[in-house]
Amino acid sequence: MKGDMYIARAADKDILKIGENGGAVTSLLKFALESKMADAVVAVKAREGNRYDGIPVLITEPEKVIETAGSLHCSSPNIARFLTEYLDGASSSKLAIVVKPCDARAIVELAKRTQINLDNLLLIGLNCTGTLPSAKAKIMMKEIFEVDPADVAGEDIEDNVLTITLKDGSEKKEDLAKLEEQGYGRRENCRRCEINIPVMADIACGKWGTTNKETTFIEICSDKGSQFAQAAIDGGCITIEQPSAASIDDRNKKDKAAIESAKQWQEKDFSRLEKMSSEEKFSYWFTQFHQCIKCYGCRDACPICYCKDCFLEADRGYIPPGEIPPDVMFPMVRIAHVMDSCVNCGQCEDVCTMDIPISLLVFLLSKKVGDIFKYEPGMDVTKLPPLRTTTDKELTLSGVDIDFEP
Amino acid sequence: MEEFEPKIVGFFCNWCSYAAANLAGVSRIKMPANVRIVRVTCSGRVDEKFIFKAFSAGADGVLVCGCHPGDCHYQKGNLGARRRVMGLKPFLEAIGIGGDRLRLEWISASEGGKVADTVKSFTQTIKELGPSPLNGRRNEH
Repeated sequence: MKGDMYIARAADKDILKIGENGGAVTSLLKFALESKMADAVVAVKAREGNRYDGIPVLITEPEKVIETAGSLHCSSPNIARFLTEYLDGASSSKLAIVVKPCDARAIVELAKRTQINLDNLLLIGLNCTGTLPSAKAKIMMKEIFEVDPADVAGEDIEDNVLTITLKDGSEKKEDLAKLEEQGYGRRENCRRCEINIPVMADIACGKWGTTNKETTFIEICSDKGSQFAQAAIDGGCITIEQPSAASIDDRNKKDKAAIESAKQWQEKDFSRLEKMSSEEKFSYWFTQFHQCIKCYGCRDACPICYCKDCFLEADRGYIPPGEIPPDVMFPMVRIAHVMDSCVNCGQCEDVCTMDIPISLLVFLLSKKVGDIFKYEPGMDVTKLPPLRTTTDKELTLSGVDIDFEP
Repeated sequence: MEEFEPKIVGFFCNWCSYAAANLAGVSRIKMPANVRIVRVTCSGRVDEKFIFKAFSAGADGVLVCGCHPGDCHYQKGNLGARRRVMGLKPFLEAIGIGGDRLRLEWISASEGGKVADTVKSFTQTIKELGPSPLNGRRNEH
């Protein structure tokens, strides 16, 4: 049932050994294929064993699922985009997908725009407190941890401490806040992100609420997730026990602490912008926009941007071709088109060759727009994007500036 | 120094505000000549691109006028305009153009006087704000 919680671990001994935190997620994926509840699985795998280069893979053979076991914290593949670009938005096949909260939210936003068929998807969510930018992470491994980046076998963020595990089994720890002060640590958008448990997915899995590193805490978030989890338990693919009250409490506490930390980062990053005068804001942002080389990277990476015939293309006749930096219409329209639905995935900033802090601006705006319309992107598939929809109730509200109800 | 005369682009709905502006004209109501009116079929037609284009082409302010909620010729076009303007104001504010440079008003076909009042007060607001930072004339004043 929705809301149920379990402490789970893999029944399969091989998966138990290789998988992180008891290998429950890997077992569930394998079960989805074996039971034919999914035609294929989408998960993330290190390209040729390189942990800093995680790529989404499509798996149809149950025995290959184990190759995706373990988390890769130093890469942030664009799962939602992968779905729409290469898998036709799951229009014709049933897929089980491993998602971080931002991936799940992007998928929900795309489902609202009829680009993804949510009925065909089983979203297996992973708790997430942030990913690390891969290039910077490698430098950090060398400079701060003083290890060869290739020797790292695992990363983990717990209680504001980044722990890395080396191939020989030894561990090294650094304070996350200190790392982030030095410009290392998590991606900037991840620091500001307050959605750690993917409750918009079908099931949410994570280590919060477990004491040893051998089990996974699972929360059932939808009826579809409930059916699947029940089948997996009945099928003997995972073994479960009920979490204790202390365990649930621990999970809630860790979530609250992570949200609090995200709020502090938001306050820090946003207040720097808010404190500026109009002239300073204009000069700051238009200097940033002026650096744009119109590579279309942010548009191509944004999971929310889905138009096949984009307004920003030169052949549409609005943005003159061959002009660098592009007309101010380019950044303004680009931002306005996504600002009501930004899921703060940070893909735009990751790909930006000119390091324009665009994710900061769009996330700030999505917060402001969200406050006005009482809207949170990607959380509920029945709530439509506020700038693209209206309700009958508004017919009776006469002002030019009205209050929206949650 | 010459007084700053703002350039304002007005998007007026064909079914109400545009007729109201006409009424204001034939009734010989005096108002500032700062607003360049563009007739649109509905305030809902005013895409964010229109607003940005106006600013990028040098407008100091953008005025969107439509039918009162419930009176829209296309049922709910004006409701979309309201959401859009409400959403764009914080955007214009955040990038330093200023949310007050964008205004929405409901003006029915019979409200010629309201057209004059709106134009007067909006022109005054823009005069106080000064030229838009995007229009390139900023340094002249």
